[in-house]
Parts: sequence; structure tokens; C-alpha cells
Amino acid sequence: MNLLRWLVFAVAALAMNFPVIATLVTSFKSEAEIASNPSWWIQAPTLANYAGVFAMADRFDVLHYLWNSFASALLGAGLSLVLAFPAAFALVRFGAGRRWLMPLVVNLRAIPLIVFAIPLYLVYARVGLLDTKLGLALILCVVNLPLVLILLAAALRDLPVELDEAARVDGASTFTLLWRIVLPLAGPALATTMVLGFVYAWNEFLFALMLTTRDAVTATVGASFFFAASGGGVRWGAAAAVMMLSVLPPVVLGLLLYRRIGQSLAAGAVKG
Amino acid sequence: MSTAHARDGRFLLAPLTIFLLAMLGLPLAVDLIYSLSRVEFATILSPQFVGLENYGQALRSESYWQAAWFSLRFGLIAALAQLLLGLFLAIFLAPLIDKRPWLLAFLMLPMMVAPALVGLMYRLILHEFVGVVPWFLFTYWGDSPSFLGPDNAFTTLVVVEVLQWTPFALLILYSAYAAVPAEVREAAAIDGAGPWRRLWAIDLPLMAPAMGAAFFIRFIDGFRVFDNVYTLTGAGAGGSTTTMSIWVYQAFFKSGDIGQAVAASMLLLAASWLVLALVHRVSERRA
Repeated sequence: MNLLRWLVFAVAALAMNFPVIATLVTSFKSEAEIASNPSWWIQAPTLANYAGVFAMADRFDVLHYLWNSFASALLGAGLSLVLAFPAAFALVRFGAGRRWLMPLVVNLRAIPLIVFAIPLYLVYARVGLLDTKLGLALILCVVNLPLVLILLAAALRDLPVELDEAARVDGASTFTLLWRIVLPLAGPALATTMVLGFVYAWNEFLFALMLTTRDAVTATVGASFFFAASGGGVRWGAAAAVMMLSVLPPVVLGLLLYRRIGQSLAAGAVKG
Repeated sequence: MSTAHARDGRFLLAPLTIFLLAMLGLPLAVDLIYSLSRVEFATILSPQFVGLENYGQALRSESYWQAAWFSLRFGLIAALAQLLLGLFLAIFLAPLIDKRPWLLAFLMLPMMVAPALVGLMYRLILHEFVGVVPWFLFTYWGDSPSFLGPDNAFTTLVVVEVLQWTPFALLILYSAYAAVPAEVREAAAIDGAGPWRRLWAIDLPLMAPAMGAAFFIRFIDGFRVFDNVYTLTGAGAGGSTTTMSIWVYQAFFKSGDIGQAVAASMLLLAASWLVLALVHRVSERRA
């Protein structure tokens, strides 16, 4: 029975991670080998695809795309935390906005993002936010808010209310309390939420596709450029290398923090 | 709640509220105005009021209904498959995971990969000349279906979605399964209930809320899908894989018909609202 369980686990893990594994394998084959040997083994492992991708910075600046992803995801996730943390505290401790803010933000999770993408494109074009990291970060913050608010509210709900009361007796104002007592105690939850928000923002595609064209293009959108090439055909090896580079940061974060992330996601889904 | 607290509460909510008004309220107002106007990129500042014409056009368009049908079917089938597969894996693998939590890392990893990248990766993997899956099928079976052709594209997309997001259902359901009190299970065992009976009479009913949440979240995400479908089939296969989100995107960027694209997105918003209201009512009745 246990052997059967291990077998099921192995098949499930392999099938679900298959695209990443197969792309990783391809990224170590030369273009010639990819064409002649599409199988899952590598005859002559090479780093030529990775070297090649970095060498064509004049047409395809992969470092720039990775930096754009990193900066806008970090900014977007950070901003969502800054906005949601005081709001979550007010929600949990004072019940402020429980009737309208919480439902509004949580339901945002269910609304197709394209609804906001077109008007934002037009507004961004007017105010000069189109194709900027800041513009992208602002909307990535919106995308993250439902998850971030749910996770922070859940974390703050778990903090003992006696601490608040003790601080109040000592004469602390709401803001002292928030800054000196609650923030340090909620630190681990904030860190997990930040990581999750970063991963979600890094992986977001629709807004990056629509709102960036050159300067602020992200890694996921950049990877898609390889497939858009018409005429000359797709350079599969280079495409595989770019995809591996784009997938690395969120996957490494996921591996490092799988336990906390798993718990948060499960809690967030049910409490939301 | 004292008035001081009420004042502090409002103050703490203010930044988020203002931000949401700017980032969501403004776009919605633009959506509403443009959906009632004839407007193109050249006439962006002088929209011409036409009433509900754009809505009528979208609703009369056969391709819009085709996209709606695709999204609905895709969302329902994929969510159901993820729920059942996730449920099976969560319960069947629980004895392994309980003892070795690190196994979860391998099952959770797919969720860390951008859906857009997953779509691109499958383009490589399923490609008839360089893809490993067709190579395998040709070598050991002698034939390979055209995975992204009109006949198979829908199935392929569903399988891709299920393989990436079953981990989400698995994670939620595993937590729910672990939260079932051991005493209840033991009591039932003492009363002579076998493993299957315990599963049906105790575990599954107690896991029902988590099952509902997992299904609903996965359905909503499937219904509004854009990334992996767009990058895998490019809404191609004779337009048969156009989702509602992709339809709106194409009306905007390819046709440049802003009024109709925005009207269609407002209809999409209304449909999502309807689903939300329905689910809300059902979950409230159950509570």
C-alpha cells in the first residue's frame, strides 16, 4: 500500500512539474540537437543557449527584463503590504470597513482583470505611466490586494487582543501600538505575505503584456517574444533558456518557503 | 466601539480606500462612458454617445457567445477535474505527507510557475517536430494527435490547467483533511465503521466547505482565464480557443473598437457578479 502511495506521488509530482523539467532539459541542448533529438535525454550538454541569450542584449535584453520583473514585483508587493496592513488592523480590531471594504477587495479576486486593463491603458497613456515600472507596480498591487488583505487579517486575528489592551493601559496611541507592538509580532506573517505577493506579481502576465512595450517589459512577456518571431522560426534552445531564467526566482522562493506558503494559501482560501 | 476608535479606524482605512478609488473607480467610470460611446484610438478624447449600441453589437456577435461558452465550459470542467484529482491525492497521499511534509514542496511547485510560461513551455513540449511528447508517442506508439489542432485544443488546455492547478485544490483539501478531529474518526472506528464508511460519513462531510472553496476559486480562475490559453494556442485553432478575456483583448488591440471591447468587458463583469451573488447565496443558505 505504501509502495502504491509512493508511486502515485512520483507520477503526480512528475506530471505536474513536467513542463519545467522538459524545458530545463531542452535548455541544455544545442539548437541542432533539439531539432534532431527531441527526446528527454541530452547527448551533449551545453550552456550555449544561456550564453547566447545574454550575448544578444542589443535586441533582447534579458537582464533588463528580469530587473523589470524584479523591481515592479517588489514594488507592487511592498505597496500592497503598506496599504493593507493598517487596513487589516482596523478591520480586525475596530471592525471598520467590515461591511464594504473587505467584501469589495475579496470579490476583486473574482473579477476578470481585463475589465480594468483597457481603461487603465487609456488613463496610463494620458498620464505617462504606460511602459513604466511604477505604472505596472501600481496595478500589480491591486492584483495582490485580495490575497494580502485576507492573509494579514487572518494573521492579526490570531494575535492575542490582551497585548493591545496592555499597551492601551500604558497609554499607547493606536499608531504607537501598531508600529511598536503589532508590526513586530506580525513580522513572520508579513514576510510570508510579501513573498507570496512577489511571486504572484512576478508571474502576472496580462497587465505586463498590455501596459509595457519596451522600457518596462517583464521576463514573462519577454519570453513570449521568442515565440512571436515569424518567418525565421522559433529558436527553441534560446526560448527554453529564457523561460528557465524567468521561472527561477519564484520557484526558488517557493522551495525555500513551501511550508509557510502552503499553510497561508490553504488558510487564505478557506477564510476568504 | 468608542468614537476615538472609529476615527482611528477611518484613518487607517483611508490610504487603501483612496488607492482603490483611483485604481478601480476611475477605470470603471472610463469603462462605463466608453461602453456607451462610439470611440476609436483616433477619437479617444471625443467619444460620441450612442447609447447601448455597443452592448447590442457584442451580444449579437456569434464569436462573443462562442467565447462565453468556451470560458464557462473550461471553468467548470477544469475546476471539477482539479477538485476530484486534488481530493484523491490529498487523502491517498496524506499518510506519506504527514510524516514527510517536504513532499509537499514538489506538489506545490507548479503553482509558483507563471501560467503564461506554462503555456509557452507546452508549446515547446507539444510541438510536432521538437516536442518531447509527440516524439515519445511517435517512437513508442507510431502516431501522435495534433494536440493544438481545432479538435484537441480544448482538451489540451483543460489538461494543462488541471496539471498546473490541482496542487491548489490538493493543498486546501489536505489541510481540511488534517483538521478532521482524530477522536471523531476513532469513535467511528470503535463503532465498527470501515475505512470507506468513515470517508463517506465523516471525512467528506467535514471537508465539504473546503471542497466548495477549492471548486469555486478554481472555477472563477478558469472562467476568467487569459495567460496560459493566450500563450499556448494564441486563441488560435480557428478561434475555437478564444476565452472571454481574450475576446475583449482582441477587440481592443486588433480591431481597435474600444467601445465594443469595453462594453463586452462590462458584460463580463456583470457575469462575474452574477456568479459571485449566486455562490454567496448558496453558501449563506448552507451556513
